[in-house]
Amino acid sequence: MSKRPPITNRVRELREENGRMSQAALGEAVGVTRHTIIAIEQGRYSPSLETSFRIARLFGVGVEDVFGWEGE
Amino acid sequence: MSFREKSAWAMGVVMLVTGLFYAAMVLAMPRAPLLGPLIPYVLAVIVLSIVTQAVLGIASPREANAPADERETVAIDRAGHWSGNALGLGVATALILYVSGVEITLVMHGIMATLIVSTVVEYALQIWFFRRGTA
Repeated sequence: MSKRPPITNRVRELREENGRMSQAALGEAVGVTRHTIIAIEQGRYSPSLETSFRIARLFGVGVEDVFGWEGE
Repeated sequence: MSFREKSAWAMGVVMLVTGLFYAAMVLAMPRAPLLGPLIPYVLAVIVLSIVTQAVLGIASPREANAPADERETVAIDRAGHWSGNALGLGVATALILYVSGVEITLVMHGIMATLIVSTVVEYALQIWFFRRGTA
């Protein structure tokens, strides 16, 4: 089985804070599929730096407010 | 299930079924010229691939027209890398068999079998990476 990346994220929380935005809408806004958003939220995939910035900018926060290192 | 995963499942089945069709033809006439089983096999692969992709495209036209995203691209590339290694190993083995004096027709069928198996492996790995991630 693939190793889980050691990166945590608040994507689901931010989606819910921002009018319960759907995974499909977020994916479309940042240029990935709904399945990739699901994989990010479940911690199975670490997005590229560009997608990380797109997600953070969409929610009006910094990248470090969305993504963190496990245990920190 | 994403469009690309559905596509990988469908194409994996197409390659498996047509591969079994090829194997059945070869086993029936192992020393017949390569073109005998090759032409119907290639035609079957082309027709079934077009039909499969057309059905998937009609069912999800928006997803079918969208390019693979970054996660899917990594999964597809990684599956291609490992299946390419399997293909290389199979072809090298076939060349060794040829140098060892094995009949060329059988060697060519071996290379075709390697190509078919590596393609099935590629689609299986794509599904695995789509589901389990690539980390």
